[in-house]
Amino acid sequence: MLLLNKVSQLSSTPLQILFHLNGWYFAAFFIAEILMFIYKGVILPYPQANLILDVVLLLLFLGLETLRLFYGWKGNLCQRSLALFVSVAVLVPCAVLSVYYLLLQTFVLRLEFVLNAVLLCFYSFELLLGLMTISVFSRANVY
Amino acid sequence: MSALKSLVPARFLTLVAHLVIVITIFWSRDNNIKSCLPLEFTEEQFKTEDTRLLVALSVTLGLFVIELAGFLSGVSMFNSNQAVLSLLSHSGACVSLSCFVFQQWPCWTYWIMFSLCSVIPALFEFILLISLKSV
Repeated sequence: MLLLNKVSQLSSTPLQILFHLNGWYFAAFFIAEILMFIYKGVILPYPQANLILDVVLLLLFLGLETLRLFYGWKGNLCQRSLALFVSVAVLVPCAVLSVYYLLLQTFVLRLEFVLNAVLLCFYSFELLLGLMTISVFSRANVY
Repeated sequence: MSALKSLVPARFLTLVAHLVIVITIFWSRDNNIKSCLPLEFTEEQFKTEDTRLLVALSVTLGLFVIELAGFLSGVSMFNSNQAVLSLLSHSGACVSLSCFVFQQWPCWTYWIMFSLCSVIPALFEFILLISLKSV
């Protein structure tokens, strides 16, 4: 009976901290990007098609990031390796979009460069901790 | 409890905002250096002031490492006194450094902001880290 009650705690606290702070950071990042696009649209000779493309990609980025954080949060706290694996899989398009905003958009401000660099640091740590946590979940025998 | 729950992300966001502005100043510090030199300056004078400001910014990044280490390791993550101190000082740093960049304040004003907004929270953070190890 004592053995049955001993369910080991496998959720990763550092990963949960990163997800929580990343959620807040991405909210601030999104607001800053919207304001910077307004600034660039007004001040700089931004082509209309490029501006629409960049804003639509930003909204796509918001959707993917929300999906990723939800699955990561849920997977880590409920100890489900499949949900956490989905979170790590969605990390790849999020990183691609971040690199796009870092290097490839029409006008890149210095502030955008630094903000995306910090976001990529978040993604690196979450990738490492996510893979470690998935392996811990898969290895454990819970009964 | 809800106030404490919102202190953690607020502190983190102000810390990262301050870090972002400091990294941006690394790139755009030429104008600030020219603001504290006379109209006719030599290359030697420019290099001296540039080195001085570069040292100040690098030490600021070192203090950020201390503060992030204390925060992310959990030592002071839920310490509300440290959170409020960090929140106020880094918010003040964000506002004043934004003025520093946009209005091209002379480079000696950076030391005032450095002393008030970077050294004080990092010092208290360091005290917390040391006092934890002694327990």
